[in-house]
Parts: sequence; structure tokens; C-alpha cells
Amino acid sequence: MSGVVDVGVRDTRNLTFSERLYLPEIVKGMAVTIRHLLRNLVRMRNLPTILYPERKRDYSGRFRGKHILTTRDDGTLKCVACYMCAEACPAECITIVAGEHPKLAYEKYPLVFEIDMLRCVFCGFCVDACPKDAIWMTRDYEMAFFNREEAVFGIDKLIAKPGLPVKDGLGYRPYYPGDGTRPPGDASSSPVIPGDGERAKLREKGLDIHHTEGPGPLNAPSPAAKAERERRAS
Amino acid sequence: MSSVETVSLSKSAQRLRDRFSGSPLSERVEVFDLDLPTIETSPADWIAVARFLRDDPECGFDLFLDLAGVDNLKRRGRAARFEAVFHLLSLSRGEHLRVKVILPDGTPPGLPTVCEVWPAANWFEREAFDLFGFDFPGHPNLRRLLCHDAFVGNPLRKDYAPGQRWFFAEEDLRMPDWAANSEERAGHFETQTISIGPSHPATHGIIHLIARLDGEKIARAETQIGYMHRCFEKMAETHTWNQVIPFCDRLNYVSAMINGVGYVRTVEKMLGIEVPDRGRLVRTILSEFSRIMDHCVNIGANLVDIGGLTNFWYLYQPREGIYGLLEACCGARLTVSYVRVGGLAIDVPEDFVPRCRALLESIPKFLDDVDRLVTRNRIVRNRFAGTGTVTRDQAVAWGFTGPVLRSTGVPYDVRRARPYDFYDRFDWDVAIATDGDNYARYLVRMEEMRQSLKIIRQALDVFPASGPVSSDDWHVVLPPKDAVYHDMESLIFHFKLIMEGIRVPSGERYEWIEGANGELGFYAISEAGPGPYRLKPRPPCFPMMAAYEKIIVGGSISDAVATLGSLNIIAGELER
Repeated sequence: MSGVVDVGVRDTRNLTFSERLYLPEIVKGMAVTIRHLLRNLVRMRNLPTILYPERKRDYSGRFRGKHILTTRDDGTLKCVACYMCAEACPAECITIVAGEHPKLAYEKYPLVFEIDMLRCVFCGFCVDACPKDAIWMTRDYEMAFFNREEAVFGIDKLIAKPGLPVKDGLGYRPYYPGDGTRPPGDASSSPVIPGDGERAKLREKGLDIHHTEGPGPLNAPSPAAKAERERRAS
Repeated sequence: MSSVETVSLSKSAQRLRDRFSGSPLSERVEVFDLDLPTIETSPADWIAVARFLRDDPECGFDLFLDLAGVDNLKRRGRAARFEAVFHLLSLSRGEHLRVKVILPDGTPPGLPTVCEVWPAANWFEREAFDLFGFDFPGHPNLRRLLCHDAFVGNPLRKDYAPGQRWFFAEEDLRMPDWAANSEERAGHFETQTISIGPSHPATHGIIHLIARLDGEKIARAETQIGYMHRCFEKMAETHTWNQVIPFCDRLNYVSAMINGVGYVRTVEKMLGIEVPDRGRLVRTILSEFSRIMDHCVNIGANLVDIGGLTNFWYLYQPREGIYGLLEACCGARLTVSYVRVGGLAIDVPEDFVPRCRALLESIPKFLDDVDRLVTRNRIVRNRFAGTGTVTRDQAVAWGFTGPVLRSTGVPYDVRRARPYDFYDRFDWDVAIATDGDNYARYLVRMEEMRQSLKIIRQALDVFPASGPVSSDDWHVVLPPKDAVYHDMESLIFHFKLIMEGIRVPSGERYEWIEGANGELGFYAISEAGPGPYRLKPRPPCFPMMAAYEKIIVGGSISDAVATLGSLNIIAGELER
């Protein structure tokens, strides 16, 4: 705690004779601006402005840019279509249609996973909400579109294929108190992955397993997404 | 701290009760003690109560803060459907008061205007007329404010379907009546009416100023706003408590961090949870940096308005550094969404303290440069001194807070009047000036930036190297992710919190902090649902914009532009 400072009194309103003459003040002012000019000429690298797009700003590893859907070691999406991100999203920009995964251990996968980038407010709530570490954000902020349809990113645009580098590097990811970036080793993938055709075998044994025939998790059909959108719109 | 607060609150409520019992109004009001002393009255008695509250020496509620309409349609146990909730401030006592005017059912909702008592009520009543359909008999200019003239219905009523669209065509634009008829006076310059804006670089956003010029001087003016209205309050009602945080960033987008802090403090008070010291210190440090940023933008843009571009560049460099710091903390420069109810989204990066210290080193250099170029510059003096003058009484009557009120000599700063977080432990001064003109506002803002640096320096000195930044109440705060992956209980908390949201107990609360341009309050009502039943921000620039059309009368257009800049109007917060 301290007092009150009256800046109006400290700065007396009367200007000195030389200040009223304009000219000496102009010289003093020029000294300030020319000092800045010379300093910037000598140290061009420290300029606050950037020659975009030749040079890009170096953002931190927490930058909230374009989303990616992470994959398991076998290339399938980690997403289990639990709708948590869609529920947490304040902009309501995530559309998910769930399908039954051929592998029993995964249970569900997204037939459709779409983010409307024009609605998205890039708050990172989807990343916070995900219980499977399946959605991350990157440092990619260049998402220009020519029409509104293009702005809806499906799985094909969001998936981070294994081995391929992510554009501009990874951004906002869940927070791990350990080293701040990486999840614990076993958290990212399920411990046991039964083989393909497991459901078929179970069904042969006469067990009641619901199964929707459909393409694999990586080939999401866009008609389904359209149908789902129309259903919701109507 | 909290126990002291409750004791003093009951005391002030008791004093109000005593005061009213001796007056002729004793039968007509009821005094309650909620989070604030609260008075309930009826529309018929409202004017008499208002005059008593303002003029009685024991009350002295001279500053009108806020008017929030409330629709009780879906609220349990309420006598009437509509309430008008006023918040008032007594500058001499530093006390807040809530007045609820209960509007009886059966008649169209309405209550007499209090524009005569507090001129600041003018636009607040227009807003309630617009969004709730309240009638204010006697109001001088009861027209829609935030919604356009072709809008049908009252969007904040609970039975208004939010999906409707109302299109506005050019022929729907309604000019004020006085502007339609030009006025000619013998032996005088011809008067003419001009429009400045809506889209004009000098309006800093989209604001429509209609001015009648008598020669060079503005004889009469009126501002029309609402071009950026998106009904934040309706959106808040349809989202959960946490989902409102990104919307808050977009209120005052020049200092987004402060809005978030103000909002989550309200919710935390309703929940009764405590944030760890480290989290509160991070909030304080980043809020003060945001305040510096806000003042930088304000002074820089204001100087551009009068033709001084150089300072704009010098003031934007510290802002760039602060944006870098915010981005390193939370991943976004402008729309930070860094706070959460109960703490912060994520701990600060490891190099947080050195980065802050580096900024503390660099920012004063730029402030000194601007100081050298501007403060004793004769041209700036001639443009700023004596223009846009607001007297102390006018500022209070118009409901000003923040640097503009302080520039008229009133040392009201929320950080001092009701210290929150750690402001009472730091050594800093409230900057005031006396002249109340554009130049005084410039001086106050320059000094406030230096005081903010002082606060940050002291906060960094006591900043703990490690420790939690968020509460560990997992009914409110998301558990850490590694626990979610490994621990079933944490996963359940995580699911419940995402799918159902925070459960805030029923009740209401008004919490206020010092925003960059004045008292930023949030009035929240909870009905124990997943989100707010009603959320009303008290935007500090709203009363200033309302008074703008009165301040500029008598000056020239160029002075009006300089005045608009120095009032610090932020359209995102003004129109919500």
C-alpha cells in the first residue's frame, strides 16, 4: 500500500522558452528518432517487425494453431469418438460420427471427425477435454480458404500421419507435470491390441456383437458427414 | 480477508437498514444482506429511493455503476417475472450497493427513469429497453441501443428463440429527429449535419457519430453503436461456466487477460474456492502487463489520431514483447483464454520470471522515449490541454471509472479501494490528475504504466519458484492429464467436469476488479445449472461512450476525434 501521486501537479503546464520555440524541441525529437533508426540499421535482426512470409515468427510449443488428430503406432486414429471435445467446445465447431472399430480393444472410432475452422476460436478446450491424447494443436496458423466448404477440415486434413513432420511444429498439447510436453510412455497407446477379425470370430461363436460394416478408420466417407450435418440442421 | 469482508458488509447493511427505518421510505423498501447490501423496492417508489440513496449523507451513492435486467421466467420461487437490478457505488465510502426493482406481473414491465438522478443511467436504461423490453417513462431518448432498428423482440428474455435472424437494410436506418431538420439562424454560420463513421479510421471500431456543425464547432451530437453487438450475455446463458472464458477474452480484446480474471473471480467467489498464491501472482503479473499493453495501445492510437505516428511504433514494441510472453504462457497472443475457474489452464513456462524481468528492463526505455517526444511537446499540449474536458462532478454523474475518473482528481481505484489478490501488499501509488482533459488522461495513463511495472517487480520478488497454480478441487478444476490416463477416479472427475460442467450453487454475485479502463464488474446469477442463468458484465467504457456526445459539444471535430481516442472506447466491450 502506498499513497496517491498527482501527476498533474508534477508536470507543470508552463513550457520553457526553448520549448515554446519549436525548433530546439524538433532537434531533440529528431535525436530520439534517429537514434532508433541507427540502432535498427546496426541490429537488423532485433527489429520487432518480420518480413513475412519469407521469415516467420517463432512461436512457443504452446501455440494454439491448427489441430491434428494423433495416431497410434499402427497408423489408426487414437480418437475413440467419445464426444468430449465436441461437448467442451464453446464454438460448437466439432462434428463427430462414431463407428464401431473392427478391433475390440478400441471399441469405437470416428467415422467422421470435422472441425469448422471458421467457427473455431482456438481456445484449446478440445485438447484439455480429450481423455485419449488424440487431439493436439500445432503451430500452423496459415489456413486460408476460398469457400466455406473448404474451411471444414475432415480426418484427411487433420490426421497426423506417423513419420511425417507436422507443419511448423507441435503446439498446444495436454499438460504433463513431468517435463511439460510428453505423455507417460504407456498412456498414449492401449496396452493390448487384439488382431483384426476378432469381432468376426466372436460372432462365429454366437456371441452378440454389434457391428456396423464399414470402411476402416482412415477412410472416412464424406457422405456420412453430410448426412449427419443435414440431420442436425433440420 | 474473507471474514473481514462479511463483517463489514453486514455493518453497512445494518447501517442502511437503520437509515431507512428513520425515513418516510421505511415501509417501502426491504434491506437484505447478500454478497452486497441489497435493497428491494417497487417501481412506484424507485425515484424516491434513488434520490434518498444519492442525497442522504449517510448513503451517498453518487456513482451509477450498472443496470442489469433479469428475466425470472425459468427461476424458481420468484415473486415477479422481471427485475431491474441496479449497482451503485459510494465514492466517499467506497461501498457498493445493489438495488432490485421488482416489476409487478400483469402490466408491461416498466419503471420510471432515473436519468435525472444519475445521468449515467441514460444508456443503461436504453439497453434494458432494447434487450428486455422494459419501459422507462420519462426517458429522454428511449430507442434501441445495441440491436438495430429492424430487430423484432427482446433477445435477453428467456422466451426469445436465439436462432432468429433480423436483417437490416439501409432504409431501416433511423437518424435522430433533430438531425433530419437542419437549422438556420440569422447572422450566423449555416449549420449542417454530418456523419462520422460507422467505418472511419478515427472511430476505433465501428461507431456512428452524427454531429451538427455550427461553423467549425459541434453544436449537437449523437452516437449510434451496436455494430459489433453479438449478445455475449445470451451466449453465456447457453454455455457452461468454463465455456464463457473464451468469450470474455473478446470483451476488452486489448487487455484480454483482465476480463478473464474478473470473470473467474466471480465464479470462484460463488463456489467459495481459493486459488493458490502462485496462480494469483501469475494472474496479477499478467493483468498488470495487460494494463500496460492497453495503455500503450490507447496512447499510441490517440497520438496517431492527432498525427504523431512515431510514438505508435515505440509503444507497440513493449506490447509485442508482452504478447510474446502471453503466447509462451498460454499459446495465444490476443485471445489468451489462460484463466480457468480455480486457477490457470497450465503452469507458466520455466523461463517466466527471467522473461518478465527482461520486459521490465526494456519497457521503461520505450516509455522514456515517448515521454521525451510527447509530454513537453508544444503541439501535443495545444491539441490535448483543455480539450475534451470533464469536471469531477460530471465524471461522477456520468458514471466514469478508471483513468478517466482519476484524471479529474478522484483517487478511486479498485485495487486500492477494495484490494484483491495481493495489491494491498505491494507498494504503489494511485495516479491522479486534476484537469480532466485529454492531456490529464495521457499523464495519468503514462504514470499508471510505471506503477504497473512497480507492482510487477514486487510480485516477481515474492514469486514462488514452484507450486500449484490451480486449486486441487477436482469438482472444479480438471485433474492433471497423467492422472486421467492412469487413475479411474480422476477420469470420472474429468468426464463429469467436461460433460456436465461446474455446478455453481444457486445465488447471485457481483464481483469487480480494476480493468484497464475502469471498474470491470461481473454480475452473475446461478440457478445450479451447468452454466450461468444470467451474466452481465459491467463494461467500463459504456458510460464513457454514453457521455461522449455531451463532452464534445462546443469543440471542433478534430478535438472530438482526439477525445474519442483518450476515453479508451473498446467496441468489443462496449457492445458485447
